[in-house]
Amino acid sequence: MTLSSTTNSYAETTHFQRSLKRLSQEVLRMGALVERSFRLSHQALFARDLEVAQQIKPLDKQIDRYYRQIERDCATLMTLQRPVAQDLRLLSAFMHLVRDLERIGDYAEDLTELAVKLFPYPPHSCLGEIEAMSNQAQMMLASSLVALAELDAKAGQTVKVMDDTVDLAYDRVYNTLALTRDFQGVVEPILLLGLTIRHLERMADHATNIGQRVSYIVTGQR
Amino acid sequence: MDFLILIVGLGIGLGISLVFHYRQRQQLTKILEIAANGPAENASFSVVSRLRREIARSRTIQTELELESEVLQQALAIAPIGYLRVDAENQLMTCNPVARQLLCIDRWHPNRLRLLLELVRSYELDRTIEKARQSQQVQIEDWIFETTPLAPISGNHHTLPLRATCIPLPQAQVGVFLEDRSAITELTQARDRAFSDIMHELRTPLTSISLVAEMLQSRLSGQEKSWVERLSQETNRLIDLIQNCLEISRLQKNPKQYLKYEEIDIKSFLLGIWQTLEPLAKQKEIQLNYVGVDDFSFWGDNSRLSQVFLNIFDNSIKYSPVQGEIRIEVQHQENRPLSDTDPLPWQTSENSWIIIDVIDSGCGFCVEDLPHVFERLYRGDPSRTRQTLTENPDPGFSNHNSSGLGLAIAQQIIYAHGGTISAQNHPTTQGAWLNIRLPNIIYS
Repeated sequence: MTLSSTTNSYAETTHFQRSLKRLSQEVLRMGALVERSFRLSHQALFARDLEVAQQIKPLDKQIDRYYRQIERDCATLMTLQRPVAQDLRLLSAFMHLVRDLERIGDYAEDLTELAVKLFPYPPHSCLGEIEAMSNQAQMMLASSLVALAELDAKAGQTVKVMDDTVDLAYDRVYNTLALTRDFQGVVEPILLLGLTIRHLERMADHATNIGQRVSYIVTGQR
Repeated sequence: MDFLILIVGLGIGLGISLVFHYRQRQQLTKILEIAANGPAENASFSVVSRLRREIARSRTIQTELELESEVLQQALAIAPIGYLRVDAENQLMTCNPVARQLLCIDRWHPNRLRLLLELVRSYELDRTIEKARQSQQVQIEDWIFETTPLAPISGNHHTLPLRATCIPLPQAQVGVFLEDRSAITELTQARDRAFSDIMHELRTPLTSISLVAEMLQSRLSGQEKSWVERLSQETNRLIDLIQNCLEISRLQKNPKQYLKYEEIDIKSFLLGIWQTLEPLAKQKEIQLNYVGVDDFSFWGDNSRLSQVFLNIFDNSIKYSPVQGEIRIEVQHQENRPLSDTDPLPWQTSENSWIIIDVIDSGCGFCVEDLPHVFERLYRGDPSRTRQTLTENPDPGFSNHNSSGLGLAIAQQIIYAHGGTISAQNHPTTQGAWLNIRLPNIIYS
């Protein structure tokens, strides 16, 4: 079963089915946009490419627009069409899921701002590990979005396991940063890196939420 | 009596059957008309045989069409470029193996309609398809397609520069051709890198040659001295050329970083540049005519923009006839949303623009040269190619021109400002007409 096949399983497509299909498309489109934002923030942080800071702002505005519109459409469909069973779960999951996506987009924008502030300082030794964290979080987001497209109930579990890796990396980098001794110069780079790993960890959490909401759509269990 | 009834009965029966027969014939004719797509010819044959012929004919046409479509499908399947087609609801209808490989579509099944976005999470592709559908025009988009691997073990980031050509089809469908642009991107980068490397390598020995020549000048006299002077001048010209080439490469790489923004009053800025060139203009009695806004300032890099306009004015003076006129028109345009097709290196959200037109009354550009005038080292008219210093009294302004780099540098500087520059011939004066658009940004 896939996202679009749930919406065209009936012989005759009703107005509701069509609206639902359009809505799923909007959610996927928003997902693609958030993924792009995340990629740009990664580029800003690790390739030190500050041009992307200019590109990410309009992206974030667009993401916000999608978020508001999808939420409104979901509410309209719920009140006017009174969906049941899986359709209802799909709609309520969409409402939560776009919130998660929107948060990831916001964090991505914040990350580029951190990248701009970090730019003047020499690269820190744990940047490699943070990059791995960012890659892992992007992978989780991609997996969750594929799971959503495929309506794969098992993906929630897989993404959860991946989240544990990010959490572990977070603890490790946190300890490295916190226990730095005899530190020369200003503490700003350390602070910024602390915020960066915190943001990445939150992004991974939101990606996990998306994966679990997909499981909820299919099974009704949370 | 009985006989009469029989006759009447027969008559009625015959009448009814005639009516039926007539109706059936009528209907058959109609069917025939539908089958033949219009009134059928060959009316001498009976309707049934004509119908039979028509059916046979349409069956042949059908087989031919089926064959044709099969051939086309096979051709698409083995085409070297990717092709896919989506329906009005953005569901993927067909895609050929190349498209599947380029876009990493591994979960597609021909018999199951699925949203394209479920299979390819690319916002750029989706947006271009939508644009083609809305505008009903062919849309071309170059972008870098990236995918994230789903698990740490299986695979790496897939990054591919692609070009999508979206064609609007009937019933709100959209066809997309996909080209892999990695080879051309790599080649362009390699060419630019090699070019700038060579320039770097050439600069060092040239500088020492120039120094040696200068030293020799003071020690020689007579004929030998003038030779060395010539040598030194030409060497300096080469150094300038290399300097300009390097500058273009730098501007291409990091456009924003090389700009020092400051507030510029447009009228006094342009007139100031004209003043530096006034001696040249006086020789040919060329007049400057400034039309447009007074008292308007904008933010830009003063020295770089001076370079741009020095070049443009210098060209205009050079190609204008004696007692010609050069017109500068400056406008300020507000709230014109930037169209997506403008070839900007990045998108500005500003809606305020300064438009500067420089029109001369010279011979204009050659029509064949127009698409290339901004290319590095491009020389249009072969008769203008060699202009050595001896022909040009003022070497300070001629170096850009004789190198064929002036407009290339101008374009890079304008791009770096987020603007555009275009060249054409003016319809009334027949002279060169350069149109420059600069975004009016407040730089903090």
